[in-house]
Amino acid sequence: MTPSTGISRREVLRSMVGGSMLLPAILAELMAEEDSGRPSADPLAPREPHFPPKARRVIFLFSTGGVSHMDTFDYKPTLFRADGRMTGAGGGLSLEPRPLLRPRWAFRRGGQCGTLVSDIFPHLREQMDDICLINSMTTDNNEHFQATLAIHTGSFFQARPSFGSWLSYGLGTVNRNLPSFVVFAPALPYAGAQVFANDFLPAYHQGTRVVPGPEPIPNLRRPAVAGEPSGLQQMELGLAGVFNQAHLQRNGQASDLAARIRTFETAFQMQTEAPEAFDISRETSETLRLYGLDRGDTQSFAWQCLMARRLAERGVRFIELIDSGSSGNWDSHSDMGQHEPLARKIDRPIAGLLRDLKRRGMLEDTLVVWTTEFGRTPGQDGARGRGHHPAVFSSWLAGAGVKAGIVHGSSDPIGATVAENPVHIHDFHATLLHLLGFDHARLTYRHAGRDFRLTDVRGEVVHGILQ
Amino acid sequence: MNLLSTPRINISTWIALAGCLIFVSSSRGSNVPGPDGIEFFEKRVRPVLVEHCYSCHSSSAKKIKGKLRLDSRQASLLGGVSGPAIVPGHPAESLLIKAVRYDKDLRMPPKGKLTATQIADLETWIKMGAPDPRDAKLATEQPKAYIDIAEGKKFWAFQSVKSPSPPRVKDTVWPIHDVDRFILAKLEAKGLKPVRLADRRSLLRRATYDLTGLPPTPEEIAAFLKDETPEAFAKVVDRLLASPAYGERWGRHWLDVVRYADTAGDNSDYPIPQMYRYRNWVIAAFNLDMPYDQFIHAQIAGDLMPARSDRERADHIIATGYLANSRRHGSYEDARYPWHLTIEDTIDNLGKTFLGLTMGCARCHDHKFDPLGAEDYYALYGFFSSTRYPWPGIELDRAQHDLIPLGGSGDLEKAMISRQAKLAEFDKAIKKLEADKSPKEKIQAAKKDREKFAKQPLPFELAYAVVDGKNEPKKRIGQVGDARVQLKGEPEYPGKLVPRRFPLVLGGQTLAKDAKGSGRLQLANWLTDAANPLTARVMVNRIWQYHFGQGIVATPNNFGKQGRLPTHPELLDHLAAQFVANGWSIKNMHRLIMLSRVYQLSCDDDDANLKSDANSEFLWRFPRRRLDAESIRDTLLMVSGNLDPKPGGPHPFPNPSAWDFTQHKPFKAVYATNRRSVYLMTQRIQRHPFLALFDGPDTNSSTDSRTTSTTPLQALFLMNDPFVHEQARKFAARLLAEQPDESKRIDRAFQLTFGRPPTDSEAKQTRDYLTQVVDKIRTSGLAADQHRLRAWESLARVLFMSNEFVYVN
Repeated sequence: MTPSTGISRREVLRSMVGGSMLLPAILAELMAEEDSGRPSADPLAPREPHFPPKARRVIFLFSTGGVSHMDTFDYKPTLFRADGRMTGAGGGLSLEPRPLLRPRWAFRRGGQCGTLVSDIFPHLREQMDDICLINSMTTDNNEHFQATLAIHTGSFFQARPSFGSWLSYGLGTVNRNLPSFVVFAPALPYAGAQVFANDFLPAYHQGTRVVPGPEPIPNLRRPAVAGEPSGLQQMELGLAGVFNQAHLQRNGQASDLAARIRTFETAFQMQTEAPEAFDISRETSETLRLYGLDRGDTQSFAWQCLMARRLAERGVRFIELIDSGSSGNWDSHSDMGQHEPLARKIDRPIAGLLRDLKRRGMLEDTLVVWTTEFGRTPGQDGARGRGHHPAVFSSWLAGAGVKAGIVHGSSDPIGATVAENPVHIHDFHATLLHLLGFDHARLTYRHAGRDFRLTDVRGEVVHGILQ
Repeated sequence: MNLLSTPRINISTWIALAGCLIFVSSSRGSNVPGPDGIEFFEKRVRPVLVEHCYSCHSSSAKKIKGKLRLDSRQASLLGGVSGPAIVPGHPAESLLIKAVRYDKDLRMPPKGKLTATQIADLETWIKMGAPDPRDAKLATEQPKAYIDIAEGKKFWAFQSVKSPSPPRVKDTVWPIHDVDRFILAKLEAKGLKPVRLADRRSLLRRATYDLTGLPPTPEEIAAFLKDETPEAFAKVVDRLLASPAYGERWGRHWLDVVRYADTAGDNSDYPIPQMYRYRNWVIAAFNLDMPYDQFIHAQIAGDLMPARSDRERADHIIATGYLANSRRHGSYEDARYPWHLTIEDTIDNLGKTFLGLTMGCARCHDHKFDPLGAEDYYALYGFFSSTRYPWPGIELDRAQHDLIPLGGSGDLEKAMISRQAKLAEFDKAIKKLEADKSPKEKIQAAKKDREKFAKQPLPFELAYAVVDGKNEPKKRIGQVGDARVQLKGEPEYPGKLVPRRFPLVLGGQTLAKDAKGSGRLQLANWLTDAANPLTARVMVNRIWQYHFGQGIVATPNNFGKQGRLPTHPELLDHLAAQFVANGWSIKNMHRLIMLSRVYQLSCDDDDANLKSDANSEFLWRFPRRRLDAESIRDTLLMVSGNLDPKPGGPHPFPNPSAWDFTQHKPFKAVYATNRRSVYLMTQRIQRHPFLALFDGPDTNSSTDSRTTSTTPLQALFLMNDPFVHEQARKFAARLLAEQPDESKRIDRAFQLTFGRPPTDSEAKQTRDYLTQVVDKIRTSGLAADQHRLRAWESLARVLFMSNEFVYVN
C-alpha cells in the first residue's frame, strides 16, 4: 500500500501566494530556498528499522478497565460448573479466596480454526481465522493506573515514552502532513495523557490526541472573525516567511531555524489534509455498514475504527483507539453484565476494521493489536462481578507476520494463573517491536545517564506466534 | 495450540492446583529431633542446595552473590544483604522459602524454579527447625565488597574541588577576567578563534531574557544604547538582578530541577492547595539572593532550624515543601501504601538536585556505574523514613492531614484543644444516638457532620511540609531511626539495618550516637560541607548552563560515570571555589559569568571553527536559543500589554470538602491567568497543554535542561489558537493607541517583538503589506474604522510567528 503523498512544497508556496496577494519578490525568495537543496533537520524523516519488518504500522485497540478473559476469549469449562462451594482468587483488589463465579456467556467456535469465543463478541468470533489469540498474558500490578501505564510504556510507576512514541522515534513518518502517532480517546484512560506521551523522547514523537467531534486536532481551524477576508492566513504566512528568510540568512542558514520554517508549511497543509483524512463523505454505504457506522456519526467507536483505517492509509505509524475512559469502562466489580454494552460497542466495528483492512490488502503490513490492562478474577466480587486480576488475561494480534487462527498459551482450569507459555507485557512489547523490524534491546534512547528502552531490562520475543 | 486440545483435568486436581498456586500455607510445625532431621537434610535438602545454590552462595563460589552463603548453618542463619536466609521453624518467614517459591521479585534459583517437591522439602526441613550437621565454623573471610570506594574516589567528580590558578593565554588582551582565561586557553589549544562581540541590542535582549525571562522594553533598549560608560552593561546586570522578575525566572529553573507540581501524583492526582507557598518561597529566596547553603538547609531541614521570628519559622517550614512535594503513588490507604516509593522519589531527587548523582539507582541494587551501594541508599533512607510527610488525600482517604500550621505555637495549642473538645462532643452525640437506637439516617447524618468538621482545617494557614516523625499507622516499616536495606527495593524483604550516614564515597559521615530525631539537619550540614566535592560544582554548573544553554558538565543531574565529563574542569573548580568563597551568593555568580567576554560573544558562524567544533562546545561563539515555553507565553502577554505582573497566589482549586477524586475521575484542571507562566497550576500527572506543547518541564521527574522541539502543532498554535489571536488584538490596539504615525508605529512593533527597529526593506515590506491587507479588507464589507486595526492584528500575528520572535541571539 502506498500512502497518499502530500502536495509538494512548491504547490503550497503557490497556494500561499493566494492569487497575486503576495509580493513577487517574496515568492521568488521562497522558491529559491526550495531549489537550494539544503538538508533540513528532520527527526521524522522515514527510517528503516534494524531488519526487514513484517509490519509497517500498528493499530492498537485498547479496552480500558480490565476485560474479563474467562467471559470473552478464554473458555474455562470448569468455571461453568462452579456451584458457589468452590473457591478461587477473589474480587476487589485482593486475592483472598472467594466463591467462583460462573461466566455469563456461552462459548462457540468461530471460523475454520474453531477457536472458542463467547457470545459477547459474535462478530469478532467470525474473524478468528485472522486472529492470533494469546490466553497467557500477564502483568505485575493490579491497579488500573499502573497496569495501564505499563501496557503502554513498559513502566508501572514512572512515566516513560509510550509504545507509539518509540515507534515514531524508530521509524519516522512517511506523511509529514499528519502526526506520526495519533490517539483516539473520547475520554482519557487511567494515568491520563501519560499513556501516549513522548516523555523523554523528543516532542515530535508525542501522541496527538484526537477527541472525536468537530475539532479532532487542536488549532486546525483559524478562529472565525466576522468580516475577515479569505486568504489572510496565507498572506500572514507569506510575510512571516519573508522575515524568516532574511533572519535565516543573517544567521548562517542554521538548520533549527530552517526546520521551524518548515513546520509552518506542514501546519498549513495539515489544515487541509487532516480534515480531508477525517472526512468520510466519500466512503461507500457498504463500507459504513461493514463497521456498523451511521452516516453523520463522528463519535462512535465505529467511526474511530474507520478513521484508523483512513489514517493507516495516509501513512500514520501508530494509531491507538481507546474505547472508554477512566469511568464507565470494563471495570465490572459488581456486575459482569456491565461488560455487555461495552462489548457491543466495539464488536462489530473491530470485526469490520479487520475485514476492511483484509480486502484492501492492508492487513499484510498492518499489525492490529487488541488488549486491556489486566484480566478479572475467577472468584466473585460484589454481587455478580469480578475483581482485578493481573496474573493472567487475554489479548490478540492480527495481521502482518502473525500466525492467524491460533491460540497461544493457556491459563489454569479456572483462569487464575498462566498454565503454559506466559507472555509478560515486556514479552508482548518485544514481540510487537520484532514484527516492526526492531530488536527491542537495541531500540534505545539515552536519557538521564543511561540507555532506556521500552522493555526496561526484560522482554523475550514470543517466537511461537510469528509466521 | 487450540484450547480444545487441552486434556481434561478433573475437579479435584484443579482444586489442589489452584490451592497450591493461590494460597500461602503458614502452618508452623514443632521441631523434629535429631537423627531423623539430619537424615532428612542429607537425603532431601543438601542435594538441592549443592545443585542449585552453591554455585553462587558458598565459599567455593566465584563471586558470592548478595553476600549470602548457604554452605553452613551459621552462614544461612546470618544471611546476606537481605537478612537471614532461614528462620528455623518458620518457613513462611524464611527468605529462602520466599525466594524459591518465586512469589515476589526475589526469585531463586534464577535459572528456573525448583520442583514443587523440592520446595516442599525445604519447607518441611525449616519447619523441623532446620537441622543441619554441616560444620558450623564460619570462615572469617568476608566476601569482597562489590563497591570499591577507594577506586571510586579516583573519579574526577569525587575528588575535592581545587582552586586552580588561571592558565596562561597567548592573547592577553582578549580576556576580561579569569573565566575568560580558562575559556581562551582551551580555544587556543584547540585552534579555535572566538568570534566578535555581540552587538549591544543583542546583548541586552540576551541578558534580559536570561535573567528575567522577558524581553527588554524599547525604553530599556534606548537607555542602554545611550549609556556609553564602561560600566553600562554591569549596570544592566544589576538592574535585572534587582527586578522581581529575576526570581520568577530563576525560581522556575529551580522548580524544574525539584520537579515541582501543585498536585500529589497519586492515581487521582489530588490537589495540594498549599504547595504554592513553597513555589513563592523559592522565588523570594532567589530575589533575596539567599546564600545557597542556607537555601539547601531550609529545604532539607527548615523545621529543625532555629528561627528568630514566627515569620522566619513559617518560611523555614514552607521550605521543607521541597521534601513534602515528593510524589505519591497508588491508591491504597492502608499498610500497602507505597511510602517506600515516595521516599525513593525524595532520595532520587535529592541526589540529582544537590549532588548530581543518580542515587535512585541504588534502591534495588548497588549502583551499576557509580560507587554508590544499596547500603548508601538505605543509609539516606533512614533520614526520610524518620520524617513525617503530609497526607495529600487519596481515593480511599480523601482529606488532607498532617499538614503544618503556620501560626504561633501557643495559639496552635489552644486551637487543637478546642478542636479535640468539639470532636469529643460529636462522638458523644453519635454514641447517644446509637444507644437510643435512633433511626439509621439520623446516625448517618450525625457521623457526616462529624466528618465535615474533622475535614475543616485549623484556623491557621497551613503548609504542605514535613516534620520529624513517622507516617504511622500507614507506613509499614515506619520507625524513627535507622532503616533496613530492602532487598530488590521491596519492603517485604527487609535486610540489614544500616546506620544513617552520608554516602561512603562522599565521606560517609555518621550521626552522633546520641542523635535524636530524623537527623536531617546533619544531612544538610554534610551536603553543604566545604569538603563535599559535589554540591558547589553541581550548582555553579547549573548556573552556567542556564546562561550558555549547556553546562560545563553537559549532564547537570549526573556527575557520575554515565554523565559527561566536564569540557572545562579547571573552570568548573574555579567557579565552585569562587561560589563558596563569596558566601554561596548566586547573584555574584551571575555577575561573574555575565561580565566575562565569553558571555558577550555574538552567535556568528565561523567556517574554520565549525569544522572542528560544530556545536561550539568550547564556546567560540554564544549559542542561539529558542525561548522556553514560559518566555514565549510571557512575552506574548507582555508585548500585548496584557501581562499581570503581580506574584501569583493560591490556585482556584475546588473546596477540599468537595474532593471526590478517584482513579476513575482524577483531578484535572487548567486555570486561566494573565500572570507569569511560573504561576500556572502544574499537575504531576497531567501536563499543562501549553507547557507540554512547547517542551515545558517534566513534572514527573527532575528536568535538568529543557529540550527544544519544533513541531507543526506548535505552528498551528501560533497560527490559530484563540490565545494568540487575543494577544494580537491587544497588541494592535496598544500600538494604534500609543503611536499615531505609521512608520514610527512599525518601528515600535519591531522594537517590542524583536528588540530592534526594522531594516529599510522590512519597513517597506511591512508598509506594503498593511496596504494590501487594508485593500483586501475594504472589499469585505467591514466598517471603515476597523480596517486599520484588522491589518495591524494581522501584522501582529506575522511578528508572533516569526523565528526572530522566539529565538534569542
